[in-house]
Amino acid sequence: MARRGMLIGAIFVGVFGALAVANMTLQQVAEAQGAAGTVRAPRFEVDPFWPKPLPNHWVLGSTIGVWVDERDHVWIIHRSSATLSNMEKGAELKPPTGECCAGAPPVLEFDPNGNLVQSWGGPGQGYEWPQSNHGIFLDHKGNVWIGGNGAGDSHILKFTRNGKFLAQYGKAGVHKGPANAEGLSTYGGDSNDPQNFGRVAKIFVDPRENEAYIADGYLNKRVAVLDGDTGKMKRYWGAYGNKPDDRNPGPYDPNAPPAQQFRNPVHCADLSVDNLVYVCDRVNDRIQVFTREGKFVKEAFFAKNSLGEGSVWDVAFSRDPQQTYLFLADGRNHKVRILRRDTLEELATFGDGGRQPGLFYAVHSIAIDSKGNLYTTETYEGKRVQKFVYRGIGNVPRHRGALWPTS
Amino acid sequence: MKALFATAFAIGLLIAAPARTMAHEIPNAIVVQSFLKPDGQTLTFLVRVPLSAIRDVDVPQRGPGYLDLSRADDALRTGAIVWIAREVALYEEGRRLADPRLVAARASLPSDRSFQSYETARAHFADPRLPDDIDLYWEQGLLDIWLEYGIQSDQSRLAINPGLRPLAQRVTIGLQLLFPDGRERAFQLHDDPGLVQLDPRWHQAAADFVRSGFNHILDGIDHLLFLLCLVIPIRRMRTLIAVITSFTVAHSVTLIASAYDLAPGALWFPPLVETLIATSIVYMALENIVGARVVRRWVITFAFGLVHGFGFSFALRDTLQFAGSHLLTALLSFNVGVELGQLLVLVIVVPALNLMFRYVVAERMGTIILSALVAHTAWHWMTDRGAQLLQFPWPAFDLLFVLSLVRWAMVMLALAAAVWVGRLLVRSLRQGAKPRAEAEV
Repeated sequence: MARRGMLIGAIFVGVFGALAVANMTLQQVAEAQGAAGTVRAPRFEVDPFWPKPLPNHWVLGSTIGVWVDERDHVWIIHRSSATLSNMEKGAELKPPTGECCAGAPPVLEFDPNGNLVQSWGGPGQGYEWPQSNHGIFLDHKGNVWIGGNGAGDSHILKFTRNGKFLAQYGKAGVHKGPANAEGLSTYGGDSNDPQNFGRVAKIFVDPRENEAYIADGYLNKRVAVLDGDTGKMKRYWGAYGNKPDDRNPGPYDPNAPPAQQFRNPVHCADLSVDNLVYVCDRVNDRIQVFTREGKFVKEAFFAKNSLGEGSVWDVAFSRDPQQTYLFLADGRNHKVRILRRDTLEELATFGDGGRQPGLFYAVHSIAIDSKGNLYTTETYEGKRVQKFVYRGIGNVPRHRGALWPTS
Repeated sequence: MKALFATAFAIGLLIAAPARTMAHEIPNAIVVQSFLKPDGQTLTFLVRVPLSAIRDVDVPQRGPGYLDLSRADDALRTGAIVWIAREVALYEEGRRLADPRLVAARASLPSDRSFQSYETARAHFADPRLPDDIDLYWEQGLLDIWLEYGIQSDQSRLAINPGLRPLAQRVTIGLQLLFPDGRERAFQLHDDPGLVQLDPRWHQAAADFVRSGFNHILDGIDHLLFLLCLVIPIRRMRTLIAVITSFTVAHSVTLIASAYDLAPGALWFPPLVETLIATSIVYMALENIVGARVVRRWVITFAFGLVHGFGFSFALRDTLQFAGSHLLTALLSFNVGVELGQLLVLVIVVPALNLMFRYVVAERMGTIILSALVAHTAWHWMTDRGAQLLQFPWPAFDLLFVLSLVRWAMVMLALAAAVWVGRLLVRSLRQGAKPRAEAEV
């Protein structure tokens, strides 16, 4: 009996010892690999249960804007039924063809736990709802700003948080050209128009100066700055701070010298804590950085061979006081790039094409809450919002495809 | 003439009306931020509440509903007194404090960050007021309030009954207590928490957590079913005590470890634990059905107790803030409460089972039927919770994952060794006791 006990005890000690040796060896290998294959950067883990299911058989259409307000409530805007197939919106067809589903209202507010708080949006009295809404922003006074990139969208809307209309800047349908062969109206850009816009992609309001930075846009080729209360245009500029020029620059060529004008769309214009404006020149695969007055500071290219929609879709700043990191949504390559904001050096990426949690299809917009959690939305057939829980700074692989959890 | 008079009267009313009444729906959910700081014989209470929660107070507006700040001061002070000062009840050593003095009330932008700390919040009241012409839609503004209460001493123990439930359908109150010696304690209260001791004595904390543990075990149907499965085949006191003690020790270990942040923090961990809890019930029920030997049940009970302890920790997570400086006391008390709940269940269930097996159904058949019913329920829990767990992507099978596996294997091996040593000790004690027992006979 005692011998059996000794044997079992020896087995325990032996196995434990073997595991301890394995642990040490693996630790050394991991550290050696870490020096070569990983980098210190923010770590994230996808939350597959955020948000909670929508009520009323609602589904999202192409989701083309996200912002997080001061209460960490997440706001998204999407194109609802206009981008849903009949298979997806059977309940709203006339007559209905099934029990499910229907497009949710365009503007949705979620609390931090992913519960739907309220929804609103769509045409109403006193304003022109965009043909194709695009981008959403909650300013320091709690107002909701919305752009639009439909054919005739040349204006911006401002609402209260509860969806009460407050203001419209610019008019819809200006700069209309002749009808095309299909009889549809065409529109020309006018990036020097002080009153109207050209298919606005995104708005960012600077709380310190009460100025709205407009990524203008899908038709115009400029960043415009407005007074936050009156909507009066104060200044605007094109690539490198040049006077914007609406001439067609032709298709993007990765081997050509950098374009001296933005290409459409100018997709974001976000202001950092140190008063630098980060502009997404989407199709040109570059971020250009400016002072608040529009003086060019620097630029950086990402996945420069990306054609089509381009690689630079939207940015979000990390939540540390210095905004050390910049998160770049790259919808062409279906990933989020993590950059050092001061150097624009790419540290790491996460995500890949796919439909499971943590993967992307055309990741379009990105925003961050006060705890550093990221939220992304996906356009085209992506049609969703995802949450990535911030897990602190640590060693991460430089190219992490599918964002599986590690511990 | 009458019409003319009526028109003139109506116009007069319109001109004289100073404001529009803020009669509106109760907000769905609001967050209230607050600080309490006793200093000498003054208790300062700083509160920030969304203006949308301040109802039935005439607040001047202009344009489409912008706050008319040039005329808003009286309304803000009235809102502060009616909805906050008169509703919040503060206690010093069990005695309710007299009504506070309203030092200041001001409007702020929703983006204002002053309430991130007591110092910045207090300094904010000295900041210039918002410009009168700012376009701030009134429902989106914040009301900042500075109240002062007279107290006997800044060393007194304080308690609060917030009374802010009427402000919204769901009210979350962030409260930070700043002690004179520099310590800080943060609370997150929901809706109507009742009287909250902000610096409880050890016996107050212990009583609260014993109650909490007792209620938790009685509310937790999965823990109760696990307990039922344990006792169906074991109704002799001595064996029962060994099994229950084993369960208690095990869940205490993981509960305390979790409270000290030693449990994994990954998102998949809670669903994993919930799935394992359901699995433990299925296992126990199946073991009862196949008639497995129950003399070693304390071993498997220990293993499952570790899992249930994590489950208890999820329930306890939001209430540990009420432990004050008595974290370990609170944890042990919670375990005591759990044990008392379990004892109550045993006191009811064991005689009931004895009666049932004596008069209603034969023991073996009864064991199979009861265990099958429990297994059926737990099976559904297991598959439902497992499905939720499977929503999480599997960890990548890389070096770090293997390293993590090795470390967990070391922990499990150490636990197994401890159990094995425990068994050896119990066996040697029993062998030592046998001759004496025989001698007594």
